[in-house]
Amino acid sequence: MTIDSLVFLGSSRFGVELTAEALATGCREQDVSLSLASPPHPPDHDLRAANERILSAVDRSGGALLGLFRVDPWDAVESIETVERAAALPGIRGLLLHPAEEHFRINDPRVRPVADRAAALGLPVVVATGTPWQSEATQVAEFARWCGDAPVVMTNGGQYNISGLSQTDAEAALTLENVHLHTNGVYREDFLQRVVGEFGQDRLLFASGAPSFDVRYEKRRVELLHVDDGARDAVLAGNARRLFAIPDAEVPA
Amino acid sequence: MIVDMHMHIDDIPALGWHMSAAQCVAAMDEAGIDIAVAMTITDLPEVNPTAIELIADACAEFPGRLYAFARVHPWYQEEAVRLLRRAVTEHGFKGLKLHPVTTIAHPSGPDTIRLIRTAAELGVPTLFHCGDEPMTTPLAIAPAAAAVPEGTIILGHMGGYFHVDEAIAVAERYPNIVLETSAMPYPNKIKEAVERVGAERVIFGSDGPVCSPVLEKEKVGMAGLDPDDEARVLGGNAARLLGVAG
Repeated sequence: MTIDSLVFLGSSRFGVELTAEALATGCREQDVSLSLASPPHPPDHDLRAANERILSAVDRSGGALLGLFRVDPWDAVESIETVERAAALPGIRGLLLHPAEEHFRINDPRVRPVADRAAALGLPVVVATGTPWQSEATQVAEFARWCGDAPVVMTNGGQYNISGLSQTDAEAALTLENVHLHTNGVYREDFLQRVVGEFGQDRLLFASGAPSFDVRYEKRRVELLHVDDGARDAVLAGNARRLFAIPDAEVPA
Repeated sequence: MIVDMHMHIDDIPALGWHMSAAQCVAAMDEAGIDIAVAMTITDLPEVNPTAIELIADACAEFPGRLYAFARVHPWYQEEAVRLLRRAVTEHGFKGLKLHPVTTIAHPSGPDTIRLIRTAAELGVPTLFHCGDEPMTTPLAIAPAAAAVPEGTIILGHMGGYFHVDEAIAVAERYPNIVLETSAMPYPNKIKEAVERVGAERVIFGSDGPVCSPVLEKEKVGMAGLDPDDEARVLGGNAARLLGVAG
């Protein structure tokens, strides 16, 4: 079984798009049972409407989708309302914070109310990680401390550097037990293997990051890891099921 | 013939990185790669004064499988030029590797240009680390391609994560630029590169053995190239640049 822990469903103002049909086709071709979908930053900047489109897509998906609500911490009141609404909706399993596209620093004190509310509600938070000055792994680690026991997932291995220069920072963040990593776009597969070896198999989640990343390539990245089958299964699905509370009944056959 | 233009051999206790020739060849065998280019991660003459010998010995251990590039620090000026000449003329090295992250030598600065020009005189290409860091971006390297039009400039990683479009654009501008595919995570950009600059100027690399050569080779397949173009990208072009039978 494979669960894709992050796709961006819809049209982005930055020129990429993933339609429900294209996602369904990709999932069929790559044998992905379930995807967690966040909206991209929409062309009209209206995150509330974009979140509602995700909710509708989840409802129409026949169990193939669960949702993440995207939160803009600059909208102080609405951001907290969004967190609370996410927690109340069975089809929504967490939050997506994207510091680069919503233009904030993840450890800015003004983001803390979102973290505090997510922590109180036990909602997982996925953080688009790796942009300088906004979402460096060290900065996300500070945010993760605010989240208490709520899981925090750093996208793309916690860094964007094609020499792996920030992987040490990502590993430092993993010393916090609520921090996890997505596998997409990671430089050096031995980094993923080292995470499994040093921090345990329960800290990595397969994610494609589609449409910017390629689900075929990203899934093969995990399939080819030199880890045992139990660890691979955990990365491909088990860890997502645990973090996002996905029982057997919610996983399509 | 499958040729991997970008592999590493080094021993860096400070980083806990140990990449041996045997590891490279095992990874090549797993991926079905015939030949690979190996280079250190550390630079000549500092912090690795024995880098030539390290790579030369590794290639001698696996004749016909591994070929060598010399990673040299441009700041050492005439000493750097002498080391590159020695590597190529005495040890049969096939190219120059430059990594401005470890050297903080600007890719179009005079010290670097002197080395690229020497590589061109020796008939070997220059492989740059080309990613998202300052001094490694395609637009930072492009002036070097303009300054040494007789030299072949390979953009390793073809721009990394966020500079891939720029890498393709500078390759369109400068016919002596070649795009190398390692670790860059977008298979469709290989296809776009082939369509825009021609299959003869796109080459496969893995950045192995720690990046998966199997995955990186499959990535080229995912690009969906015409079979002849795929053969050029996976080996024909590199064989030509290295001067080995393709």
